[in-house]
Amino acid sequence: MRLKNKIAVISGGTSGIGLAIAKRFVEEGAEIFIFGRRKDALDEAVRVIGGKVTAIQADASKLKDLDHVTDVVRKAKGKVDILVSNAGFTEQVPLREITEDHYDRTFDLMAKGPLFLTQKMLPLMDSGGSIILVSSAMHYMGLANHSAYAGAKAALRSFVRTWAAEFKGNGIRANLLSPGPFPTAIMEAQANTSEELDALQKYYANFVPMLRLGRVEEAAAAAVFLASDESSFMTGSDVVVDGGISSI
Amino acid sequence: MRLKNKVAVITGGNSGIGFGIAKEFFLEGAQGVIVGRTQETLDSSLAQLGDSFIAIKADVTNQEDLDRVFKQTHEKFGKIDIVVANAGGAATEAKLGSVAEIGEADYDKTMDLNLKSVYFTIHKALPYMNDGGSVVMIGSNAAHIGLPALSLYGGAKAALIAWARGFSLDLLERKIRFNVVSPAAIDTPVFEKFVEPGQVEAVKKQLVQGIPMGRIGQPLDVAKAVVFLGSDESSFVLGTEILVDGGSVNLQPFK
Repeated sequence: MRLKNKIAVISGGTSGIGLAIAKRFVEEGAEIFIFGRRKDALDEAVRVIGGKVTAIQADASKLKDLDHVTDVVRKAKGKVDILVSNAGFTEQVPLREITEDHYDRTFDLMAKGPLFLTQKMLPLMDSGGSIILVSSAMHYMGLANHSAYAGAKAALRSFVRTWAAEFKGNGIRANLLSPGPFPTAIMEAQANTSEELDALQKYYANFVPMLRLGRVEEAAAAAVFLASDESSFMTGSDVVVDGGISSI
Repeated sequence: MRLKNKVAVITGGNSGIGFGIAKEFFLEGAQGVIVGRTQETLDSSLAQLGDSFIAIKADVTNQEDLDRVFKQTHEKFGKIDIVVANAGGAATEAKLGSVAEIGEADYDKTMDLNLKSVYFTIHKALPYMNDGGSVVMIGSNAAHIGLPALSLYGGAKAALIAWARGFSLDLLERKIRFNVVSPAAIDTPVFEKFVEPGQVEAVKKQLVQGIPMGRIGQPLDVAKAVVFLGSDESSFVLGTEILVDGGSVNLQPFK
C-alpha cells in the first residue's frame, strides 16, 4: 500500500480520471475527500469507491464552495497530504466563435479553481505534501478549436513551476499530470448520441500513435506515483500519459 | 510486486544509479541481469540481489560484448521484458570541458559511452525483447540546462529524448515503449572516483546550489521512476521524459 494513511482531496472525483484516481488512492490505503457539483453523482461515486471516502457537494470553480470543502477537511482531519485538482470539461469552439461565457467558464474551472483550491488547502499541508494538477497533453499541442481549454491547461503547467519555486523551503511538491485522450464524461459531454460518441472516440484514437484511447486506470497509476513519496525528488515536473500523442 | 515475472537487463547495474535500480527491481519481483565492467562491484552488488539476478561482465561500448549480454540473458531467462540503458557518465580518460578545449579524441570517448552505447544496447536488445516491452534510458538535467564542462554530455543526453520518441514510433507495431528518466546530481560513488579526495563534500555542496529542493538526489529517487516506466502501470506512457531533478530544470535555482 503506497499511500497508507495519507489524506487526499480530489476535485471532480465522481467520474472518469478523477474517479479512477479516487478508487486507486483508497486501494493504496489513503483516506479521501472528493467533491463535485451533483449530489447523485457523488452518492454513486461513494458507492463505487467504497472504503474511506467523504463526498462534499461543491463547485470547483466557486471560491465560496472551495472554502466549504476546506472547512470540512480541516474539521475532519486537520491536514491534507495529497491534493489532486482534476475537475474539468471541454467544449470545442473555434477562436472566432469564442464567447466571454465560454472563456470564463473554462478558465474559472480549470485555472482559477485550481489556483484557489491550492491556496486554501496550503495551510493544511506540511512537508512531504504533494500537489497534482491534472492538465492535458494538449498544453503541448496545437489542436484546433481548443484555445481556452489548452490555454487553461498550459496555465497549470506554469502554476506548478511557480509554486514549486515558492514551496521549496517547506517540502511541499507540485507536479503536473498530463493525460492524452481518455474515454471520460468530458468526451461524452461533447456528443449528443452514442453514434456521435463512438465517432468522436475513434477520431481521437486515430490521433494517438498507439491508436487507442487511454484507460482511466493508466492515469490513476501515474497519479499514485506523483502522490507517493516515490516521487519525492520531483517538483515542477510533468508526467505525460498520452499514448505518445503530444510527442510522436 | 509490480515487476513480478519480468526479466530486466540493467546496464551499469553494478553501481550508483544502476545498482539502485537493480535493488528496486529485485524488491518489485523482477529477475534479470546487471551489466558492468568491474568484476569486483558486479560480485558485491549481485550478492545483495539474490538468486533471481545474474551479473555479466561487459563493456557497453564494445559491440561484441553487447551481443553476448543479450544472447546470454535470453539463454538464461528465455525472454527480455525491460531494458534499462543506464551505463554512462564520465568516460575513462576522457576530459570533460569547454567546447573550446575538447577535441576529437575526448569527444569520441564521451559520445561512445553516453550516446552510441545506448543506441546499440537497444539495437541489439530488440531481437530478444518481448512485444509490449519497455525500454528506459537514463538521461540528465544537463540535456536542458547549461552545466559547467557538461555541454557534450548534455548533448548526448538530449539525443535520448529524441530517441525515446523516434524509437517508440519505430517499434509501435511491437508495442515496445521507450521513455527517459532525467535526474539531477545523484549521490553515487562517481564523486569518489572523479573528485580529488577531500573535495567530495565541497563538490556535492556546490551541486546542491543548483537544485531548488536543496538536496542531492538518491539512486532510489531515480529507481522509483524507472519502476513506474518499466512496469505495466505506464502502459499508456511512451516517448516521454520524466524529470527527477529536484526542480533544477523548471525552477530558477537562486536562493
